[in-house]
Amino acid sequence: MHPQLQLLVALQDLDEMINETANQGTELEGLGFKHGGLEELKKSREDLATKIEPGHLSWYKRLTGKFGHAVVPVVSNLCTGCFANIPSSFVSKTNENKVQKCESCGRLLYWP
Amino acid sequence: MDIAEVLKHTSPELFLPNLTATDKQGALAEMVEGLIAGTQISKPETIMQMLTSREALGSTAVGPGIGFPHGRTLAVQRLTIMIARSAEGVDFDSEDGNKTHLFFMLIAPPQDSGHQYIKSLAALIDRIQDGDLRDSLMAAENYESFCNAMKED
Ligand SMILES: [Zn+2]
Repeated sequence: MHPQLQLLVALQDLDEMINETANQGTELEGLGFKHGGLEELKKSREDLATKIEPGHLSWYKRLTGKFGHAVVPVVSNLCTGCFANIPSSFVSKTNENKVQKCESCGRLLYWP
Repeated sequence: MDIAEVLKHTSPELFLPNLTATDKQGALAEMVEGLIAGTQISKPETIMQMLTSREALGSTAVGPGIGFPHGRTLAVQRLTIMIARSAEGVDFDSEDGNKTHLFFMLIAPPQDSGHQYIKSLAALIDRIQDGDLRDSLMAAENYESFCNAMKED
């Protein structure tokens, strides 16, 4: 995986966790979980964001605002964001050196 | 949610009856390794990063003696539950300071819209309040008897 994509995936997982703590926090706390480290987690999210190239980061922000999720998995050669076909050439070796975008919706593509 | 329904998300390949690690990072790594070995899931480092961040938010060892490492990550396509056990116990930063002996690790995809994994967590936590059940789970000889004990009323 492209190192920048790896960071973007980690960023999205972190954003998901922060959102979940905000939205389902009460439910989770009701089960006994404590979320005392939230501020620390937000800080590590900001630290992580500084390692991402500004162009990728602004694209991530734009997509998150538009779709909720910026990075989506490719399953059975389909972008799971918009279900457009992703040519298998996208996975070829030459393409591993760049962060791939769906040509149809622009979401960042991830092969799980 | 019914326990039998929750257990559909695990399998004999996802049962680690004897964890060797005794610290949090080591136990998480061992469980992630087991997850990768027992499924089509790859990208262990992505899952480790998510689980480590989740522990920074607050320990998932909500006891008694049980931990529920959990979270969502792009690395998985469906809810997957790993079960692990340690007779010696793992130092998992539990609130009561006691060691953690039993783990249910729930890894969900981001698009888990019905919060299926939170419902599964709730069902497991509710079930595990029974002290006799916890003893049977620690003694269960294999995956099948573990699951049978979980499903018994
Ligand atoms: Zn698309």
